Amino acid sequence: MSAFWTRLRTFDYANLPRLAWHAWRRSLQLRTVVISVVMSLIAIISVGTYLSWSISQDLFDSRLKQSLSDSARAQVVAQQIFDSADVVDRADVQSVVNQATVAIRDASSSSWLALYRAPGQDANPLSPQDFTSPELTGGVITPDLRASVLAGVGRQHWQSVDIAGPTGNQPGIIVGSLTTIPGVGDYELYIGFDLSPAASTLAYIQQVLWIAGTGLLVLIGGIAWFVSRLVVVPIRAAAATSREFAAGGFDERIPVQGEDVMATLAQSFNDMADSLQAQLRELSAISDVRERFVSDVSHELRTPLATMRLAADVVFDNRDRLDAPSRRSVELLHKQIGRFEELLTDLLEISRYDAKTATLMREPTNLVALTEEVVASIQSLAEGRGSPIEIHSPGGHCEAEVDPRRIRRIIVNLVGNAVEHGEAKPIRVEIDSTATAVSVLVEDSGVGMGQDEVTHIFERFWRGDPSRQRTLGGTGLGLAIAWEDARVHDGAIDVWAEAGRGARFRLTLPRTPGVPFGESPLALEPTSREAQL
Amino acid sequence: MAQSVTPSSSHVLIVDDDSNLAEMMGIALTQAGFEITVCGDGPSALEAFGSVNPDLVLLDVMLPGIDGIEVCRRIREVSGTPIVMITAKNDDADVVTGLEMGADDYIVKPCATNILIARVRARLRPTPASLMADATYTVEDIVIDTLAHRVTRGGSDINLTPLEFTLLVTLASQPHRVLSREELLEQVWGYQYKADTRLVNVHVQRLRSKVEHDADDPRIVRTVRGVGYRAGGD
Repeated sequence: MSAFWTRLRTFDYANLPRLAWHAWRRSLQLRTVVISVVMSLIAIISVGTYLSWSISQDLFDSRLKQSLSDSARAQVVAQQIFDSADVVDRADVQSVVNQATVAIRDASSSSWLALYRAPGQDANPLSPQDFTSPELTGGVITPDLRASVLAGVGRQHWQSVDIAGPTGNQPGIIVGSLTTIPGVGDYELYIGFDLSPAASTLAYIQQVLWIAGTGLLVLIGGIAWFVSRLVVVPIRAAAATSREFAAGGFDERIPVQGEDVMATLAQSFNDMADSLQAQLRELSAISDVRERFVSDVSHELRTPLATMRLAADVVFDNRDRLDAPSRRSVELLHKQIGRFEELLTDLLEISRYDAKTATLMREPTNLVALTEEVVASIQSLAEGRGSPIEIHSPGGHCEAEVDPRRIRRIIVNLVGNAVEHGEAKPIRVEIDSTATAVSVLVEDSGVGMGQDEVTHIFERFWRGDPSRQRTLGGTGLGLAIAWEDARVHDGAIDVWAEAGRGARFRLTLPRTPGVPFGESPLALEPTSREAQL
Repeated sequence: MAQSVTPSSSHVLIVDDDSNLAEMMGIALTQAGFEITVCGDGPSALEAFGSVNPDLVLLDVMLPGIDGIEVCRRIREVSGTPIVMITAKNDDADVVTGLEMGADDYIVKPCATNILIARVRARLRPTPASLMADATYTVEDIVIDTLAHRVTRGGSDINLTPLEFTLLVTLASQPHRVLSREELLEQVWGYQYKADTRLVNVHVQRLRSKVEHDADDPRIVRTVRGVGYRAGGD
């Protein structure tokens, strides 16, 4: 309990509008309930106000009518008493007045009386004293009322007033008329009627209306909540299921209940899910079979190939003892087995990427050192072909978290290609880095290639211009594997090439796994200065 | 024959379920001057290991009966004899599992004859002369006696395979140097060219599990991040 109060105290009330707005936007049910309650409130207030007004009007009218008739009857009775009286002295007059007063009380059933001698008459010794019931004192009988009573002889005039009662002011009506006591003069007669019974009836009715209205409102809120729940709950379940399904839970289904529109929706969703799941299964089965097939074939070929390789090596080592045709045959056999082996290795590597089973063995690697090693191993071959390799490394002396085996393979491939297509012109390798990226650029000034070739260069087994004959071997999978090697590091290989001018291959890698490399530190297109080189 | 014949002809146990390949490896190794014994499955390999007492085992990973990894583990329980795994799969998990079970090196099928022979020779090669100098090294609380080929801690022996011993001595004999994985491959495994540095990683782990008090907090074979390994020191 104290925790509740603490929460209440520490609650961030400044946040309340935001939270409420959030809840309003999020909850269909809340919106439904709130809208229903607000609309019902307006309706109930309108109906209640009208009811209350018309009932009070009717109560007042009927009470007024009754008061007027009571008052008229009382006045007639009083007048008869006055008319039939034979007065000679003051005591007689007083007695008649008392008699009339009693008669008026009986006739009007009201004890609130006032009798004033009408002004503007000569004084008469017989005239009785003015009197007023205590309830009608204190300005309850206004001068306006008196003036209109005096002006309209023989007619009733009324006014609604607040009369000071024992329990505070209470509503009332005062009806006034002129009456004449023969031989004495004109008198104003006022009779007050108590309206408090009618007022309390009205108050009771209003109270009932309030209670009924509030009850109705709560009831409507509850009904709206319940009804919207009937609709919202299945929708919510459907939404949750769709979300699960989208997140990869392909076994998720919406429970189908009844035969209504929700059931139809659920059934349609489930049918769609079944169909999607079946297609996914089929596709992944096909893909699995294909990938496993390539992988299995590659593996199964390895054992016989290993025997062939060893056998060919043994014969090849002893080729001097063979005659010329056999010697040449074994040389060709030996060479082609080597090629076959390379092809198999590359196929297996690609199938591993296709099956997504390639695992990265990351370690901090210095790309400058790595590139220097690669270049050192190829340098003599490159020089033999008249394409000495030159390394520039303004940056890149940092450690990058990469798989050195794969990165070495990329660089071997790029440098090897440059030597192959370098046309006996120097090759330039540049390494640079930024805070997030490290990049290696390999540039040759050889045959280059056209734009359409550039777009195909990373395709498997793609052979470009027949003039670009492979002389250093290669399987046709080298760049495809290099592309995958770069991609698995979240890196990229970009190519710039121009026929007759050479080609530039740029490898860019993130220095830290998971941190995008951003801008490459090396420009892909040659600057004019470099072009002159 | 280009290869020179190994002086005292060593005995190689070849275990491969493909009889043609086993025979062919046998021919190549015999030509290179080795004595050979050929087995086609795991149980007979273990039996032959006990009876012929080979100097080296060439072991295929995929074997009927008991697979190569299990054979490797069982041989390691009783002997430090060099084991070279032969695998058709260069798959990372397979290779690493084999090495973790105690294989000294591995060869991926298909493999050139000269590479096969070079690897076998490298594993049979006596420990390099520089390391055989009669010397005693102390790293933290362990003592390495190269003459007696013993490693002790507080007088009690630590049992290492020849490869693990060479690895430890190579590091201990150059106490202030950090040796890169490539240098270790060259000095310990005898590789003259780039090879799989996982060999080094896995064997350092195996060595640590034997010599360190806490393999997760190594004191004797320390990793120098981004460079390589070093024996002791701070």
